Amino acid sequence: MSFLRLKKEIYPLVAIAAGLFILLFGLIMAKTVESSFFLLAVFVWFWIFGWKRACLHILPVFFVVGTVFFLIFYFATGKALSALYIVNRLAAILLGIVPGMGTRPVRMTRNLSQLRVPRSITLGMLIAMSFPPLLAGEIRRVQEAMKTRGAGSFLSPQIFYRAFLIPFVTRLVAISDTLALSVETRGFSLSKTPYTVYEKESIALIDIIFLFGLMAGAILMVVL
Amino acid sequence: MDREVPDKVVSANKEVTMVEELLVNIDDINTEQASSQTEYMAVAEGEDDNKVFRKFKIKDIVFLAMMSAAMLITGAIMPLVGQIPLFGIIQLTLGLQFSIFPVIGMMKVRKPGALMFISLFCGALMVFMNTVMFLCMMLCALVAETLALTIFRGYKKNGAILLAGTIYFPLTLPFLYIWYKYIYTMTGEEGQAVSAFVGSSPALAVGISLAVIALCFFGSIIGMVISKELKKSGVMKK
Repeated sequence: MSFLRLKKEIYPLVAIAAGLFILLFGLIMAKTVESSFFLLAVFVWFWIFGWKRACLHILPVFFVVGTVFFLIFYFATGKALSALYIVNRLAAILLGIVPGMGTRPVRMTRNLSQLRVPRSITLGMLIAMSFPPLLAGEIRRVQEAMKTRGAGSFLSPQIFYRAFLIPFVTRLVAISDTLALSVETRGFSLSKTPYTVYEKESIALIDIIFLFGLMAGAILMVVL
Repeated sequence: MDREVPDKVVSANKEVTMVEELLVNIDDINTEQASSQTEYMAVAEGEDDNKVFRKFKIKDIVFLAMMSAAMLITGAIMPLVGQIPLFGIIQLTLGLQFSIFPVIGMMKVRKPGALMFISLFCGALMVFMNTVMFLCMMLCALVAETLALTIFRGYKKNGAILLAGTIYFPLTLPFLYIWYKYIYTMTGEEGQAVSAFVGSSPALAVGISLAVIALCFFGSIIGMVISKELKKSGVMKK
């Protein structure tokens, strides 16, 4: 019955496949007007299947950057269609990012661990995917510290090196040391010791419906 | 008047003495074992240091992943600049951070494969941002590591790290050129993509390529200086 359940989140590997498919198919087909409608349909499809927040995140970027690119290409080439194609490309790239943004890193790691991917790779990928928001916070903190100390302009190479780069890398080293220690003390090992996955990911009917919808849309676009 | 000591007390005293002796012996045994184990580990580590290919530890993987995260956060503009029709624009905008952080990573983790790991961890997110760039970077990491290992036989010398850090990102230029020439089409008319990306004059493309190499060399030097400074201050340990 677990296969038929209506779970909330899409299977991580299906999400990766969907992201790559949209990215590549969208880029290949960008030079058609129909691809605009296809990408709009994909946006709605992603919204329906639970990636609402990620869809909302890409909208402002799409509108701002899309408008800038459209205007540049329109005035450069004098053709509205060329400008539309470049906007299609941008839309395909942004929609390709949505599944990655919508899938929690820990689910992706569990899925890869289930498939017996080496633990050094899953650990590294989990950290690389989870830490960018934390590092963004660190960058802000270092910048605030610069302001508090009255370090000077961010654009000066010397100040940038001494007051930004060195403290930032020092924080990176400190975080990685603490993280490595906490990972080791929790019994994580890179050797071939047996391990279990806390919450197993399984493919369900909803994943197949999701993929089928994407494929059907792509085939319809090519045929029509 | 002498009082006789009860048998129970005598036997209890004997037991205490025996237990104490046993504990002292255990301490001796443990100390001997520990010292022999430490010696063995030191010898093993020494032997391990002499090898070219060494096993990665958890702290190595975590540090390389942190460097990848730093690269990703500073390189988040890649999908946007990738749309600008200028040859090497991605490399020009990201060259500095894509040479500083890998060099810092390799300065701490002086093991072959470190650059490959950084590229792979970056790929976790970059595969969605720019799939072609991710594949290019994996290939370039392989080429850069192979060259550095062939010339320097490992990452013990700083020159190996400098070489790998300098050529790693500029190597993506020829790979991207092939991609633009044979796969990428901007307006559907053959050849327009390449002329748009390379520019009207090949001299511009050569100039940009040289600028990217210089930028990455500069970034690698900065990465090495930062690592040396942090090692000197004791922040970064081996």
